[in-house]
Amino acid sequence: MTALRIEGLGVRFRLHGAAVQALSDINLQVRRGELLAVVGESGCGKSVLAHALLGLLPRNAQVTGHAYLGEDLDLLHCGEQRLAREVRGRRLGLIPQSPATALNPVRTGRRLLAETLRAHGRDPGLAAEVAADAGLDDADLDRYPFQLSGGMAQRLTTALALATDPPLLIADEPTTGLDRPLVDHTLDLLRRRCDAGGTVLLITHDLAAAQRVADTVAVMYASRIAEHRPARDVFGAPAHPYTAALLDALPNWAFTPIPGHPPMLTALPPGCAFAPRCPRRTDACGVQPGGPVACHHPLVAAA
Amino acid sequence: MIWRVVRRRLAVAVPVLAATSAGMFALGAASPVDPAEQYAGAAAFTTSPEVLAQIRANWGVDDPLPVQYARWAGNLLRGDLGWSTSRHEPVADVIAARAGWTLLLIGVTLAVVLAVSLLAGTLAAYRRGGLLDRGLRAGAYAVESMPVFWLALAAIAVFALGLGWFPAGGLTTVTATGVSAGDVAHHLVLPVTVLAISQAPWFLLFVRDSVAQSLRDDHVLAARARGLPGRVVLFGHALRTALLPFLTLIGTHLPELVGGSVLVETVFSLPGLGAVSVQAALGSDFPLLAAITLITTAVVLAANLATDLAYTAADPRVRIDG
Amino acid sequence: MADLTVLRRPRPAATTAAILLTATILVVLTAPWLCPLDQSAVALDRVAVPPSLPHPGGTDDLGRDVLHRAVYGLRVSLLVGVVAALAATVLGGLVGGIAGLLGGVTDRILMRLVDTLAALPHLLLGIFIVAMLRPGLGAVIVSIGLTHWLSTARIVRSELLTLRTRPFIDAAICGGATRTRVLTRHLLPHVLPKIALATTLMIPHAVWHETSLSFLGLGLPPHLASIGNMINDGQRSLLTGAWWASLVPGLLIVAVTLAIAVLAARWRDHLDPRVRAELDL
Repeated sequence: MTALRIEGLGVRFRLHGAAVQALSDINLQVRRGELLAVVGESGCGKSVLAHALLGLLPRNAQVTGHAYLGEDLDLLHCGEQRLAREVRGRRLGLIPQSPATALNPVRTGRRLLAETLRAHGRDPGLAAEVAADAGLDDADLDRYPFQLSGGMAQRLTTALALATDPPLLIADEPTTGLDRPLVDHTLDLLRRRCDAGGTVLLITHDLAAAQRVADTVAVMYASRIAEHRPARDVFGAPAHPYTAALLDALPNWAFTPIPGHPPMLTALPPGCAFAPRCPRRTDACGVQPGGPVACHHPLVAAA
Repeated sequence: MIWRVVRRRLAVAVPVLAATSAGMFALGAASPVDPAEQYAGAAAFTTSPEVLAQIRANWGVDDPLPVQYARWAGNLLRGDLGWSTSRHEPVADVIAARAGWTLLLIGVTLAVVLAVSLLAGTLAAYRRGGLLDRGLRAGAYAVESMPVFWLALAAIAVFALGLGWFPAGGLTTVTATGVSAGDVAHHLVLPVTVLAISQAPWFLLFVRDSVAQSLRDDHVLAARARGLPGRVVLFGHALRTALLPFLTLIGTHLPELVGGSVLVETVFSLPGLGAVSVQAALGSDFPLLAAITLITTAVVLAANLATDLAYTAADPRVRIDG
Repeated sequence: MADLTVLRRPRPAATTAAILLTATILVVLTAPWLCPLDQSAVALDRVAVPPSLPHPGGTDDLGRDVLHRAVYGLRVSLLVGVVAALAATVLGGLVGGIAGLLGGVTDRILMRLVDTLAALPHLLLGIFIVAMLRPGLGAVIVSIGLTHWLSTARIVRSELLTLRTRPFIDAAICGGATRTRVLTRHLLPHVLPKIALATTLMIPHAVWHETSLSFLGLGLPPHLASIGNMINDGQRSLLTGAWWASLVPGLLIVAVTLAIAVLAARWRDHLDPRVRAELDL
């Protein structure tokens, strides 16, 4: 059963005559019960993906393509009203990025949780229970966001997203600012949701986190998916030169940085965006490659 | 916490009032107008120099300035506001009879302006770029450049003289024997509307811009992502946080409102402090003018304190951390 | 994304404002040659004529051509507005400059003074000043100058304080530049555009203040055609149905101040493009 099918999703931002290409021709499929990790460096368009699916992009964004939730509902074309009434929180939840700014500064955690529970027809008294699931003490619910540590705020945003118990959950960098035990706690929480039949789209720049819990991994580079394969293949035998270079840059791998810089999203090259930094490039790279491994010269033959 | 806010405001208010009174006194002393001649009025031309000298001596006009200032300030503090030379009655009586009407005009106007600008500004921000937004912004920029007294005359021409819906001025019907609330309300419709329209653009544009900004705040997007109803997101989250800076700005905008009320009162011949201060200015009536300016300043400072307290109550970051 | 070229959309409002303002300034400057009639001449044979071809703005209750007088009134009002705005700028620039350059206790005291004056109702204070100096052209300019310098002082001070922390100032001082040289060569060029903008933004406010005082009978002498005086006169004509006597001068001042405000806003966007771009999303 497909939980989410994204077809040819593209997002451009107009900014006074210039255009930022944040996402180009994204194709992804997530099955029910699957945990898909979208990984990539910051600024590659990962978070735009989350906001595009939820219809939260600013007005200067132009969205193309389709994103089917379940069998029928096209998130990109169903309109703000259906998104607000049927989708957000109910069928598709979000753990937002940067918890420090994602919490209303003048409300306590308990009020935010109770308000969310009530809006979804659940008992506001469940607040403490939901918070405990996310690893938050009952006493901390009476604090205002500015009184919470980064880790506590992160757990509160997680609890808020879980309060509506959505079948598909997008977690946008849910482990930033957490120390290792809490990172593991949060990741295991997401894993358990998938094992219980839920679906999770984990957006992260933390490859170790993806390796720990993901079933499949989509590596993003400069607004495109470079490689979308099962997690153990991606980490065991990366096919795209960018994935290999990204892994090599990790401290516990080769610790060699990728030469050069990623291209500006305002001026993407016509073909493979990684070509200028790629040791395997040839003239063929001037044409954008397709498929689950977007490369003309993959390191291993794609399955 | 509340006491800290009050103390901090008082620490500003006392020097402000002292400096203002001293500044005004210095200006009054430098003025070419002779208070004794002023007091005598038209009679000054026939009054003998001896009598004028007597008046001067009685008032201590020829004492050194600091002595005069100390005497005047001391009298003010004891509640003796002096004698109005233009109206020939105690300043305190003039103010007591009229301050209420001015406060009523300003208070009602402020309430109208706040209600309208909060609602319209929020809706314009929600549908920014839409018809309401563009219309309100264009209207606001246009109204901002219209002198309030001109707007008042236009309102009188159309709604009082043309259509005859509202009276052109005054506070009660000429034939009325007493003051009835309905009559006063009917007379106040035009002045309040004109003053509100002239003050609204600033508030409206501010609310619109800060709610528009707040709608792109992470926490508002997060509230939408949780599937909260649009009304709750707009008023409970976006407007609620955008209001915090707005509160303090109401205080700083009050002097503007007072200035507008002087002009509106004059056009509509309302028996408030505005018209009487113009009369006092024409007659170079220092005691009355100084008292009105000082009292207005004190009221503005008190209002600033009130908005500060409201801010403290509304923002837990200030309330708890200080 | 620093290399995003900020392309400018054409702005019809700004173009219209520029044309209007240029035309107005030309007419106002050439008024004595363009329409050299005695603007206070009374003609009782054509009292309160509604707008018509020979008198596009109608005539007032003394038979004077309203549009004709309004042009002269605008001359006076703009002159007073510009002179007073310049006076306020000099005063504000001095206070803000001293506060920003000396810093420390001086800064704190001066800024407390600025905050103090900001809490006073300008118009009442302006009325007080005019009353004490006796109404007239000079009193009006002093009244505007003394009540409108606060924003300039704040701008100059905060600009200077930010500039002081910028590396190139340290570099100039380390390079052995004298205080005067740092001030004239390095600080002034950065602050001047902001001061010029603040002055321009102040002109409409100065004009309104003058118009308000004149309207209350506390500004320019009543025989002199000024916008405020004319609207005040028009108030009398209103009762006899001659609405144009106050409408025409009012429209003129609204158009001119609006044009100045639009152009100044455009200029501000140019100096600081970030502000609007974010809100128009």
